[in-house]
Amino acid sequence: MKKKNIWMNVNGEWHDLTVTLQDRLIDTLRDQIGLTGTKEGCGEGECGACTINLNGKAVLACLMLSVQADGAQVTTIEGLQNGTDLHPLQTAFLTESAVQCGYCTPGMIMAGHALIKQNPDPDKTTVKTCLANNLCRCTGYEQPVKAVLKAAGEMRRKIK
Amino acid sequence: MTDSYTAVGKSFQRIDGIDKVTGAAKYATDLRFENMLYAGLLRSPHAHAKVTCINTSAAEKLPGVKAVATIFDVPKVVQYWFFLRTEKKKEQMFLHDNIVRFIGDPVLAIAATSKEMLKKALSLVTVEYELLKSIQDPHTALTETKVNIHKKGNIAFKVNKEFGNVHEGFKAADIIVENTYHTSKQKHASLEPIGTCVASFQSNGKLTVYSSTQLPHWSQHYLAMALGLSLNKVRVIKPFTGGAFGGRCGVIHGLEVMCSYLSRQTLQPVKMSFTREEDFSATESRHPMTIRMKTGATKEGMITANKVEILSDTGGYGTHYIGVIADCMSTGIGLYNIPNYSFSGTVVYTNKSPCGALRGYGNPQMNFAQESQIDIIARKIGMDPMALKLKNYRREGEMDPVLNELILSNGLKECLEKGARSCGWEEKRLRQAGNDLIKKGIGLSIMLHGTGAARALPDPGSATIMINSDGTANLHTAAADEGQGNRTVLAQIASEILGIEFDNISVSETDTDITPLDCGTHGSRQAYCGGLSVRNAAMDARQKMLNHAQKYLKVEANQLIIKNGHIIEKSNPDNNISIKDLMQKIQIQDMGVCEQVIGSASGIAPAMPGYYGAVFAEVEVNTQTGRVKVIKLTSAYDVGKAINPDMVRGQIVGGGVMGIGFALTEGLQLKDGHILNPNFTDYRILRSCDIPEIEPIIVESNEPTGPFGAKGIGEGSMVNVASAISNAICHATGVRLTELSITPEQILQSIKNSR
Ligand code: FES
Ligand code: FES
Repeated sequence: MKKKNIWMNVNGEWHDLTVTLQDRLIDTLRDQIGLTGTKEGCGEGECGACTINLNGKAVLACLMLSVQADGAQVTTIEGLQNGTDLHPLQTAFLTESAVQCGYCTPGMIMAGHALIKQNPDPDKTTVKTCLANNLCRCTGYEQPVKAVLKAAGEMRRKIK
Repeated sequence: MTDSYTAVGKSFQRIDGIDKVTGAAKYATDLRFENMLYAGLLRSPHAHAKVTCINTSAAEKLPGVKAVATIFDVPKVVQYWFFLRTEKKKEQMFLHDNIVRFIGDPVLAIAATSKEMLKKALSLVTVEYELLKSIQDPHTALTETKVNIHKKGNIAFKVNKEFGNVHEGFKAADIIVENTYHTSKQKHASLEPIGTCVASFQSNGKLTVYSSTQLPHWSQHYLAMALGLSLNKVRVIKPFTGGAFGGRCGVIHGLEVMCSYLSRQTLQPVKMSFTREEDFSATESRHPMTIRMKTGATKEGMITANKVEILSDTGGYGTHYIGVIADCMSTGIGLYNIPNYSFSGTVVYTNKSPCGALRGYGNPQMNFAQESQIDIIARKIGMDPMALKLKNYRREGEMDPVLNELILSNGLKECLEKGARSCGWEEKRLRQAGNDLIKKGIGLSIMLHGTGAARALPDPGSATIMINSDGTANLHTAAADEGQGNRTVLAQIASEILGIEFDNISVSETDTDITPLDCGTHGSRQAYCGGLSVRNAAMDARQKMLNHAQKYLKVEANQLIIKNGHIIEKSNPDNNISIKDLMQKIQIQDMGVCEQVIGSASGIAPAMPGYYGAVFAEVEVNTQTGRVKVIKLTSAYDVGKAINPDMVRGQIVGGGVMGIGFALTEGLQLKDGHILNPNFTDYRILRSCDIPEIEPIIVESNEPTGPFGAKGIGEGSMVNVASAISNAICHATGVRLTELSITPEQILQSIKNSR
């Protein structure tokens, strides 16, 4: 199988990687780099569990080839907290009881993360639309939506 | 009971929350071990066939292929805990004989050094089949005599129960309503696909299995039996689990056995993970049912008789088919006090993917039919459905005739009153709202669901608590947490009794080497059954602490209480010792003692109390497109006591959304045994943009047998949603739907027919 060397900045650290042309980004992150926080729920771009941020945008790691991420800045759920300090999104998901089984949570948080970056003051409909790509079978969505709104508010307050 | 609790009734954040929001939580799909092999299944492309020959030689020649196991090699395993104590067990094999009974039935498993090698190896296997006539329709299964899906025939199980005299009951009725209802083959669709397991058999003869199961101790028993190992040589560890809803109560035992078998062949860890497509098409689903129901009532609104005939389709195999049909019976009969009742249930095999446990366990199907019937009666006699329900429901102090148990708590009336007030039921019910295009309606449905399975199964629960020398505690329980939050709730119960702060209690992961016997997480049982075990273990530890304190406080144990981390003499609070100091003394400082306080408890719950709920659904129906939009659910549930109110609300809202799916969008579509929608695009579960407002209301009836009055919630919250929505559609449009899921086409057709 043909292999290619790529490099990728994942959560602030550069990685030199050897991948095949078929390797999916999700497998490179999980199996090669060992970052298993990014989850696979369908492998077909339908559930959003594998959502990560690539150059600041929310993308589905199950639909991307690793070679497409050559040179990219990747943020995964593991890259959000600062030491033991949680990111406001992570805190809000806890305080709003937006987490049950937690399997959708990394994808939800990363979708919210990219949204807030683009739109620091989203309204409820915007958040609902943004999270519409992220399936959750446990919570019924109300709490995750609230958590993203709360985190956005928290982050605006911090910037001021 | 005065509510001066320090931990119970408080919405603590879940103890495993930080692991989940940081990505640190390891699910079975995340596990990797050195030398690990990847295993996968070759599945039957035929719905019903005899395997005559399996040729694996080409696959076995591949360099990375380490082991192959066909259906002829893998040990057979009993599928259902219940059968461990009966003689019937031989009929309940999962990994079968030489017959495949649905499209997707496993034929063989291969373990290889990489996923790529595995794929290649599976493609090189050839299997010869002798095709058999397949049976898709459950009615055909009933009458077909020449084709038998299982040796014993196509009828898996029959159950009948009768009391009173339905014939007389119908004679006494002023109106009789008779309908046939159909329900869909719903899937759990947990976000982590069902069926992930890593098995590691070591040369010392010990097997360790990491499995995303709801029933770790069942798995341990099956594995021991299948592989001829003693129980101490089988260790089942349940890592974090990405949702379950009953889906991890059944099929994965076969997977665990296969992985373990392959690991024993190779002495390497073996991992198998089902894909989403496998999850949809080859793991268990909800039993589709045809329910014929005839209900009689007087003009005054007394229900005089109910006659129920159910045909339940368990697909190619049965695991929970007895429990599920029995639950239809017990929940249907238990909810209303109908003096004359006749129930007959038949479960048949068909050549479709197998059915098993799914949130509600037969109750959502039965509830859809029965609550539709009650609604029709209310309309016919011109009575408010709520009044009709209040007139006929089975009250506290009455006997449940199926469980043979006295009802000790029933908060249904309060659920109805609070829910009705909150949603404005009376006003909305009277008004015919909306316009010719968009019609608005409101519907109501109630439900009863049992907590645990103490009347049906060997249903043990256990817990051990160790108090550390610094006054903190470690709780060991096998009450598998699939995301509901059991571990948090159980820590709260322990905290309350021990007087040790919630944050100072750690809860172990579920591991059969460490955590004592538990029947697993099913039947909404862990707050109640798990809670009782933890309560009793904590009381045991507490008593031991008090006994030790006697020596240092110089008073009898019965004069002591525990408060805020201190053991205090009741009549003289100045005479006290902190738990921490006491533990220091007895464990380390006092050489005459040197003992750790360990509390333990094990046993079956004293009852199977019902929990109750009322759902008020508000809908808009577009009469031109047939589209239904759920505007709001007001969902009031009597949970006995909410140990953690946020988590109870989480169950009510999450169950509500799953219930809307059951009502309107979900169901596997089959053609000749092929599942046509094995993905999230074609099998539609609700998304964030689809959800209505859901108002959860908690009612606390204080169940006397429960820990702090608690009973269940997990399953019930979806049980009566579809019926409430269907009743609301009828209120809006006047048309009655009898088939789930309710599609726009059906609505348009029914509106057309009604004109
Ligand atoms: S795993 Fe990528 S969208 Fe589902
Ligand atoms: S919390 Fe379980 S899928 Fe969202």
